[in-house]
Amino acid sequence: MQGLGRSLYHLRVRNQDPTTLIGIVLVVLFGYLIAAPIFLLVTDAFVVQFADQGRAGQPMGELTWYYVERVFFSRISMDVFWRPLMHTALISVSAIAIALTVGVPLGWLMSRTDLPAKKWFSTALIVPYMLPSWTFALAWLTLFKNRTTGGSASWMESLGVTPPDWLAYGFLPITLILALHYTPFVILLFGNALRQFDSSLEDAARSIGAKRGTIARKIILPLMLPSLVSASTLIFAKCLGDFGVAYILGVPVGFDVLATSLFRAISTSQTGMSALLALTIVILGSVSIFIDMYLLRQARRFVVIGSKGSMNRTTALRGWRLPAFGFAMSIFLISAFIPLMALLLTTVMKVPGVFALSNFTLDYWIGTDVGTTALKQGILLTPEFWEVTWNTLWIVGSAALGAGFLGLLVGYVVARTEAKSVATFLRQVTFLPYLVPGIAFAAAYLSMFAMPRGPLPALYGTPIILVLAILADQMPFASRAGISGMMQLGRDPEDAARSVGAGFIRRLTSVVVPIQKGALVSGVMLPFISGIKGLSLVVVLAVPGTEVLTTYALRLVDYGYSQASNAVVLMICVIAFGGTMLVQRLTKSNLSDGLGNK
Amino acid sequence: MSSISIRDVRKTYSKSAAPAVDRLNIEIPKSDFLCLLGPSGCGKTTTLRMIAGLEHPTEGKIVVGDRTVVSVDEGIYVPAEDRDMGLVFQNYALWPHMTVAENVEFGLKLRKVPKPERDRIINDTLEKLAIARYRDRLPSQLSGGQQQRVALARMLALKPDVILLDEPLSNLDAKLRLEMRAELKRIHAEMGATIVFVTHDQWEAMTLATTIAVMSEGELQQLGTPDDIYERPANRFVAEFVGNLPINIVELQDNSTNPLSAWVHGMLADIRLTATAGSVGIRPEHVRLVPVEASPRPATVIDIVPTGGSWIVELSADGEKFFAITPEPPGVAPGEQVGLSVPHESLHIFDAAGSRIEAVIQQTTGGKS
Repeated sequence: MQGLGRSLYHLRVRNQDPTTLIGIVLVVLFGYLIAAPIFLLVTDAFVVQFADQGRAGQPMGELTWYYVERVFFSRISMDVFWRPLMHTALISVSAIAIALTVGVPLGWLMSRTDLPAKKWFSTALIVPYMLPSWTFALAWLTLFKNRTTGGSASWMESLGVTPPDWLAYGFLPITLILALHYTPFVILLFGNALRQFDSSLEDAARSIGAKRGTIARKIILPLMLPSLVSASTLIFAKCLGDFGVAYILGVPVGFDVLATSLFRAISTSQTGMSALLALTIVILGSVSIFIDMYLLRQARRFVVIGSKGSMNRTTALRGWRLPAFGFAMSIFLISAFIPLMALLLTTVMKVPGVFALSNFTLDYWIGTDVGTTALKQGILLTPEFWEVTWNTLWIVGSAALGAGFLGLLVGYVVARTEAKSVATFLRQVTFLPYLVPGIAFAAAYLSMFAMPRGPLPALYGTPIILVLAILADQMPFASRAGISGMMQLGRDPEDAARSVGAGFIRRLTSVVVPIQKGALVSGVMLPFISGIKGLSLVVVLAVPGTEVLTTYALRLVDYGYSQASNAVVLMICVIAFGGTMLVQRLTKSNLSDGLGNK
Repeated sequence: MSSISIRDVRKTYSKSAAPAVDRLNIEIPKSDFLCLLGPSGCGKTTTLRMIAGLEHPTEGKIVVGDRTVVSVDEGIYVPAEDRDMGLVFQNYALWPHMTVAENVEFGLKLRKVPKPERDRIINDTLEKLAIARYRDRLPSQLSGGQQQRVALARMLALKPDVILLDEPLSNLDAKLRLEMRAELKRIHAEMGATIVFVTHDQWEAMTLATTIAVMSEGELQQLGTPDDIYERPANRFVAEFVGNLPINIVELQDNSTNPLSAWVHGMLADIRLTATAGSVGIRPEHVRLVPVEASPRPATVIDIVPTGGSWIVELSADGEKFFAITPEPPGVAPGEQVGLSVPHESLHIFDAAGSRIEAVIQQTTGGKS
């Protein structure tokens, strides 16, 4: 009788709030949406595929080292793996170096000085991150391409100078574009960390006679290190998986990185090899992340989280105000304004780069007879464009909403559950897509959902596969925002709600979600923006019925309608930028709120 | 109004760790103002949270009024949200996204109180706590003292039978603390609710509680009125924990080569003990400074600290620190020798394990020994 009472007691204690139950549901969900596709990808790399039965000399489905040999040790491995690997490494390291060099001073200027127009810059300098990285690749082509790729002339060519290949394509432009595109990470993360830095630590150092330089070097820098390491890792992982930029600027001159090499393997249906290449990228990404985690842990031992008295002192720039303003402004011009203007101007110019009034036209936007074979009317008059825009909004929108709310739930469970194994698994599984480049993730989704799996029918060709893939792909950001938000929140507000009689659902809707508004907004907005501009994931999974703006733009590039494609790209920029601004205004919260290790 | 009965409660967080609360038995009568007192980590907050339902005991039973809210053996567990208790947190835990009025209203809404009635209660409660003019502010726009009042208002609006307070005064400055203390006393008198109050501050406990439960390392050390706790500490821990200036403890040694120990042995000779004494506690206010000739126990004055109305005299007796507190200027200077005298009845005598020994004084020879 007593034993029964005890079991009943434990059951009641466990059932009082369904956190762990929700946790288990989430474990199953993400097991299905994230772990299973990646697991399939791994097995594909070591199992003989249908097409390779002959060459591998083994029947389909048997374990094999064939792909390992082919990728790493065969005659083609230099081309498919080693050289792309070298290129990728060079590009990421240089991009990180540039991003830190540019981003650290900017982060400081934005958070701790009286820089003029600081508020405006806080949006303007983040613009590159709001836009797809490959936008800037298109802009680069518009400005600097040469006859290697043909098509309409670049501005530089119109000026009578032929840009050399090293300027037009390959390492230099790819590195520069990625660096400038990801500089906002540094500005946001470093700036946030500085903003939270407790000035009393500086005062303490000054009071014992430390000079400004010493303080910066010995006190501030060590404490800021975690944010810099974090930003660097984010950038490295992004560079590893960035497909669009290298595809547009590298492939024309045979400059391959791992992502483009992988894309070639996928598009030529070499399932086994592409799985292995993807796996290699995943492993590289994972190693860097783990190194990052280790370093962060080392650094965290010293980190003092801003105390109650944490306040933020503004340094007066005095005579440096103007030069600092000039620096920030020039970064804005180079990383956002000039590329976007270049794109915009090509869409209203008949011949690129010729600034004569007669050369300007609005035909590519609203004209009715452009004189081309297929796209006879301006892009705004093309029904297909609007269909694709609508597709994009609802597909990415529902994925982002789903990701945001699931992220918050993950955060809730991770912060609350007593089942530590559930928390750990959720934390790791939602982080997993971060290590998998979009293309590899898309490949994994293909092998997972091209046929019926579990309760779901075959999803390939439906918009649902896109929603699920984008949702899963964005979970790292969403759950990161959710977890850090919930960790900060602590238990008390919810306990207080319990004490006045609020049940679980009530606590969630009336206390947790409203307080977490900021984290939730970032948890929805980051995925939304990132999804809108995402290319590599959808380029594999979208089919003509379910096209989104990015794939549509790429198709227009392929057709050679560069004005139309630039127009579409600009529309993507407008949606991404407008969406960000709108939500920030509506909720009075900031994009950077949920980003980083706050 | 409800009594609270805590029976054989035990709480362990992991199998290996020492229990946070162990073998806890407390009967709290109706309308009592009980204070759980102890150093941090003694299990007092865990106990409070178990009464509230925010933690669940590993063993035992808690009955509130005639309702068993938790009983491990009987399989009863009432979740926190169904216990109808008023709870105030150390950091107030106001909901940052709700205004003052909304914070107070939330619980009323959950109880489906009609709107006009809600407004009336909100106004009354805010009025009573003198925060009515902040009703539309957000918690972040209030000072600590005001937030504290909102937290109280939020709880009081629901008129709970049982009020649980988790160190509610610890984040306030001295003046506000006095104000809130008076406020709590008034609330207790007016509502007659049973109040359980957690604090590590013995002054708070002494001045507020009708009953104090002193806890240490998860176990109840003593349950009694403030006077009991102070005048008749059940063991050395209680004696040392309670008291503004720490009690003087003299360890008794068999070979009475230690002069301080020998002095106390001398005093104990007049007293019949039910067990062997291991140590003796002497409160500083019971130490009298007498001329050196009048006392066998001379000590050197090290420092004199005026504390406004009383004087703390720091002494050294054979290298041991010893404190006395006098209601008048002691009339000695640092470096001088003074004699010590203690009335027999104010000795707290403990056995070797630290438990109090009841003493019977045979001769009333006053302070002489």
